[in-house]
Amino acid sequence: MRKMMYLLWFGLLLGLVACGGSDDAAAELQTIRLPMGYIADPQYAPFYVAVEKGYFAAAGLAIEFDYSFETDGLALVGAGELPFAVVSGEQVLLARAQEVPVVYVLEWFQRYPIAVISRASANITEPADLRGRAVGLPGFFGASYVGYVGLLTANGLTQEDVNASDIGFTQVDTLLADQVEAVVGYANNEPIQLQTRGEAINVLYVADYIDMVANGIITNEETLAQNPELVQSFVNALLHGLQDTLDDPAEAYTISQKYVEGLDDSRMPVLEASLPLWEAEQLGFTDPASWTQTQDVLLAMGLLDAPIADLEAAYTNQFIQASD
Amino acid sequence: MPGRWRLQPTWLTFLLSFLCLLLAWQLLVLWGEYDRFLLPGPLDVARQFGVVWQDGRLLKHSWITFSEVLPGLLLGILIATPLGYLLSKSSLAERLISPYLIASQAIPIIAIAPLLTIWVQSTYWSRVLVSVLVVFFPILINVVAGLRSVPSEMYELLRSLRATRWQIFRKLELPAALPVVLAGLKVGATLSVIGALVGEFVQPKSDGLGFLLITARYQFKTDLVFVVIITLGLMALGLYGVVSGLERWLLRWRKALL
Repeated sequence: MRKMMYLLWFGLLLGLVACGGSDDAAAELQTIRLPMGYIADPQYAPFYVAVEKGYFAAAGLAIEFDYSFETDGLALVGAGELPFAVVSGEQVLLARAQEVPVVYVLEWFQRYPIAVISRASANITEPADLRGRAVGLPGFFGASYVGYVGLLTANGLTQEDVNASDIGFTQVDTLLADQVEAVVGYANNEPIQLQTRGEAINVLYVADYIDMVANGIITNEETLAQNPELVQSFVNALLHGLQDTLDDPAEAYTISQKYVEGLDDSRMPVLEASLPLWEAEQLGFTDPASWTQTQDVLLAMGLLDAPIADLEAAYTNQFIQASD
Repeated sequence: MPGRWRLQPTWLTFLLSFLCLLLAWQLLVLWGEYDRFLLPGPLDVARQFGVVWQDGRLLKHSWITFSEVLPGLLLGILIATPLGYLLSKSSLAERLISPYLIASQAIPIIAIAPLLTIWVQSTYWSRVLVSVLVVFFPILINVVAGLRSVPSEMYELLRSLRATRWQIFRKLELPAALPVVLAGLKVGATLSVIGALVGEFVQPKSDGLGFLLITARYQFKTDLVFVVIITLGLMALGLYGVVSGLERWLLRWRKALL
């Protein structure tokens, strides 16, 4: 009996030491609250993989996912409240036009993820086929609208050439009800939904016609100047997570199931459709020409009143080039 | 009150308080050294106001929002008033309907607004419906409270005079309940603006002050966000003023009695 008591005390002591130890280890990590811009989703697999495989922890970082709005995340980074956020390229330009000091440091989506989707029977196989057609957009705002105008502009079309209407986020239903001939949506979402229903479709990917900057990681000028090591550590860890996701999507999806509540196997096609949007010769690299093109589209749309004074200051590849 | 100085809510005092508010706001921006995208000063907002006024966007979007607010408020009144009358008169109706009405108020409007869009299949009417749902309850509650505030001896008096149901309503219930009902209407008038805006947020499409607000946030034009907020405030203030004017006119007999 006494032996049992000693064992119990020993076990308790061991437990306390272990707990203390883990607390110390956790205390060494710098917690980074990361605004993601959207709800928990398998599309964020590279982030989940980087956390789960300890890449962030090895860099001394503990990531706290924050699924708030993109604009809020950008404002917090711009105000110096947070060091990083997941934000799209056009948002960076719109923010810098308002003197928000944010800088894009890693291009996660190498291809702009917007597409124009139509039923095969509508025979819309190239952008010129959109002339005079009824096209439904979620609204005349946001990434869908920017991508749509980018596609038209790159193909010598104007908004007046197409009979566009705003249909809210009801693209699949509206298209199936034949209320419009094509809809604008996300390349890794609406086409998958329609194909799952057995619909024969045509997809015009915006990225096939114009290179615009999509989602990536931003930081602020203060962090960039005062703590470049932090930015480098973050970039390195995420690039490892991204590479692992591309190498083994099935494993990445299984990891995502820990982070996305109630995620069954049905959304694996979304992750599979996302992979080509992330692939690149050098992951994370952002092409200066894509920034000029994005700016041109925003100017044509009237979202920017004038060109950004210092466009090159909106992004940097220094951390990608120095990544391990 | 002769002989005692009393501050009158005149235009002058309102103007003074408004100027003080603007000054405090500008000083806060200057001392706090806030970036324009975090907290624009009143001058930035005034400048932006001029821009959207001149290019016609403010008027266009304000008109669209107002065209949702007004039917929302009127429909809310049209539904809440007879239902309130029924609930105040019939204990059976109250027992049957009240639990559902009270429980419905626990449902966040933002949760059902997207469903309304799907059910109604009209952006305009789904926005109006959100406005109706928001204004409905305070008006209903005040109609019930107003009618129940009528003293029972007054009913007995009128019945003893062989008054018809219509006469009781016209001569007793309506004048007695009107002050409370109009107070509810004031609350409803301001809430109707919020309702329409919630509807526009859920279904932004391409018009209305909600759309302008979303666009302004998308473009990080915080000064434009302030312009929209101020316009919404003015719209609510205007509706409140109309109901207050209506109240003064409808209840002028009370002043004559005093």
